[in-house]
Amino acid sequence: MSSNPPTLLLVDDEARILSALRRSLRREGWRVLTAGTPAEALRLLAEEPIDAVLSDHKMPGMSGLEVLEAAARLCPAAARILISGWPDEIPAERLEALGIRALVPKPWDDAELKRILREALADA
Amino acid sequence: MGRARELVRIVVAEPSPREGGGKLGTVEALRRIGRGVRIEVVHDSAAAIELARSTADLVIVDRDLGAEGERVLAALRRSGPPVVIVTPEATADVALETFKSGAADCVTAGADYADVLPAVALEQIRAWRAKSARRAVHQRIRSLERLHATIVDHFPAALAVLDAEGRLVTVNPEFERAFLAGGAAEGRPLEGVLPADLLASADVPELLGRALSGGARSPRIAHARDGDRARAFDVRAEKLDAEGRILLVLADVTERERLAKNVRDLRGYMENIINTMYSGLVVVDEAGRVAVANPMAERILGEPRGSLKGRAVSDWFGPAADPGGCITRSLTEGARVRGAEGVVLRADGKSVPVAISSSPLVDADGTRLGAVVIFPDVSELVQLQSQVLHTEKMASLGRLAAGVAHEINNPMGFVHANLAQMEEYLGDVARLLDAARSGPECFASLAGELDAETLLADFGQAVRESQEGSERIRHIVQDLRAFAYRDDGEWVPADLNRCLDSTAHIVWTMMKHSVVLQKEYAALPPVRCHPKQLEQVFMNLLVNAYQAIEARAARDGGGTGLIVVGTATRDDGVVISVSDDGAGISPEHADRIFEPFFTTKEVGEGTGLGLSTSFEIVRRHGGTIRALPRAGGGTTFEVFLPQQGPDGRTAEP
Repeated sequence: MSSNPPTLLLVDDEARILSALRRSLRREGWRVLTAGTPAEALRLLAEEPIDAVLSDHKMPGMSGLEVLEAAARLCPAAARILISGWPDEIPAERLEALGIRALVPKPWDDAELKRILREALADA
Repeated sequence: MGRARELVRIVVAEPSPREGGGKLGTVEALRRIGRGVRIEVVHDSAAAIELARSTADLVIVDRDLGAEGERVLAALRRSGPPVVIVTPEATADVALETFKSGAADCVTAGADYADVLPAVALEQIRAWRAKSARRAVHQRIRSLERLHATIVDHFPAALAVLDAEGRLVTVNPEFERAFLAGGAAEGRPLEGVLPADLLASADVPELLGRALSGGARSPRIAHARDGDRARAFDVRAEKLDAEGRILLVLADVTERERLAKNVRDLRGYMENIINTMYSGLVVVDEAGRVAVANPMAERILGEPRGSLKGRAVSDWFGPAADPGGCITRSLTEGARVRGAEGVVLRADGKSVPVAISSSPLVDADGTRLGAVVIFPDVSELVQLQSQVLHTEKMASLGRLAAGVAHEINNPMGFVHANLAQMEEYLGDVARLLDAARSGPECFASLAGELDAETLLADFGQAVRESQEGSERIRHIVQDLRAFAYRDDGEWVPADLNRCLDSTAHIVWTMMKHSVVLQKEYAALPPVRCHPKQLEQVFMNLLVNAYQAIEARAARDGGGTGLIVVGTATRDDGVVISVSDDGAGISPEHADRIFEPFFTTKEVGEGTGLGLSTSFEIVRRHGGTIRALPRAGGGTTFEVFLPQQGPDGRTAEP
C-alpha cells in the first residue's frame, strides 16, 4: 500500500448510484473517482493511477465487462470488480478469463461491498 | 220472305231489247212469284256466270241468246244453281237438246207462260236449296271427322275406347306404341294389354267401375316399371255413351313427375341448408321486408318462430347492426357487400354482435328481386379475438419486462444503499444528541470527529435521492399498470399524439441506452378508436423498431440507433409513423410480415403475432398499415386511421 490514499474508480451510467456509493465510501478515506459513461472511465483509467475499478455491467455503448477488459490493459495492477442487476447472466468463465475479483449483485449490501473493496485495495 | 237473307235471286240471260230480247215476257212472268224476288237481267254469258256463281238461286236462259246461252249452261253444268231454258216454240228435239246440255228444265213461252214459268222456277229453287243444305251438312261432318282423327292420332297420351266388359274397341297410335307393340287391339281385354303393375297401381278395374257408375272422376298417378325405368302415368276414365263404352286416357307423366321430384328435392336440400346453417339468413324483398328467415335468424334476433315474415328488416338492422348499410346498398345498387361487425339490439334488451354481409337477389333475367342477408352470431369470435389481443399484449409485455426490470433495479439499488446509510447517519445523530446532553465540549468534540456538517449534507442528499428513486419506480409501475389494463371495448374519440407519446415513453425505458427517440408530432383531430388497442399497435411497432436496431448493431458490432415517431393528418384521417434505422426488412420477408405467427426471431423471442395483431387491429379501425423501406436504411411503418372510425360516424368532440 502506498503512502497516498488508494484510488478507487466507480463506473455507472446512473448518477444516483455513483452518488450513493461515494457517500457510502466517504469515511473509508480513499480517493474516489466516478465515471458516468464507459468513455469517461477509459479516459480516467488512462490518466490516473487507479488501484481498483468497480463497474456496472449494463451501460449504453459498452458493457462493464468491456470496461474491465480495457482496465486490465490500461491498469493491469488495478483490482477489477463488476456490479450487476443480473449477475446470473454473466458467464463465470468470462469473469475468470478477465481476472475479475468479485461480482457484486445490485442492489448491493453496503457492508459486504465495503468489505470486498477493503480487501481488494489492501491487496493492490 | 220480307227479310233480306231470304231473298230469292234469279238471273235472267236474254238478248238485249234492241236485238229482240224480252219479248217473251220472262221478267214479267217471274215477277208474279212475289216481292221477295230479285231479278237481274244480263245479256252475255260472262255477266250471267259471275252472278250465278255468287249467290243466285236460279238462272233463266233465253234460247234466243244462242251460243252465249250455251256457254252459260256449260259453265254451270258441274256446280252452280239450276239453269232453266225458255224458248218461244218447243219441239221434242229442242227439249231433248236442252236436257242433254245440262239444263234443269225447259219452258215454252206459250199462252200459259206467265203461270208455268213461276211454278217451274219455285220448284227448281226449292230443290236447289235442299241440295245445298245437305251438301253443307256433309261437309261439316267430313271436317269434324278429319279433326277427330287428327286429334286422336296425335294426342300425346294413350287413348282407348273400351266396351262395358272392359275389352278394347279402338285405340290411338300412342296406345299402340306404348302397350300393343303392333298387335291387334279390338276385342282384347284390358287386363291382358296393360302391365300388371300399372293396373294394380292405378286400380284400373275400380276406376272403370267408378266411370260406369258416373262417380266422381279424379285422375290418379300410377307407377309402372319399363325395364329399368320407372314410369308414371296420369290415368283417367270417362263414360262415353249409354252402351257403357268408356274412354280410357293414360298420359305418360314420368318426366313431369321427375321434374316435380327434382324441384321438391332441391327445395328440401336448400331448406335443409338454410335451416341448419350456423348463421342468420333473411331474404328481403325490394321494399326491405322479410320474405324468408331461417331458424337461426329468429334465434339471433330473439323473435318467435315464423314471426319475421313481412316485417321491415330495418327493425333490427339499423346503423348499429349494419354499420356499413350493406342491406340498403344491395337493394339500391345491387352491390355485394361484406359489412363491418355490428350489434343487433333485440326487443328483449339483449345485444348480439353479428358480422353482416348482403348480396343482391336476382332472377334468371337479372331483374333485382331483393337481397339475401347473412349474419353469423360472432359473440364467441369477439371473445376469442379479445383473448388473442390480450395474450399478445401479455407477450409484448414480457418482452418489455426485461427492460423495465432494469429500469426499476437501478433506483432500487441506490434507494437500498441509501437506506442503509441513513440508518448509519441516524446512529451518528443519536450519538451527537447524547453528546449534546453531556455538554458543549463533548458535542463539539464529537461533531468535529464525525464531520457533522458533511453528515447533515449527506443525510439530506440520501433522503432526497431516495425520494427521487422511489418516485421513478412509482412512475414505471404506473405506466405498466395503465398499459396492462384490458380494453373496455368502447369506441371513444382519442388524442393519438398522447397515446403514441405515452407508449413511446414506456418502450423507451428499455431502449434508451442504445436508441435516440425523435418525436415529430403534428396537431391531430380526435380520432374515434379503441385507444388501448392502438397503443398496443404503437408498442409493437416501437418494439420492432428497437429489435431491428439491435439486429443491425449485432451485425455491425455496436452503435446506437434512431427511432422517429411522427404524426400527420391526411385526407379524412391521421397517419402515425414509426421509423427506424435498423436492419430493415429483407425483400423475401416483405410480403409476409403481417401474417400471423410469421417471425424471423429465435424460438421463444417472439410470438410472431405482433404485426398480424397490429394489422387486424388497424383493419378493424377501418385503417391501413404498411411497411416502407426508409431512405438510408431501416424501415418506416405507416398507419393510416380514418378520423371517424370504421363505420363513418364522426367522432364526438
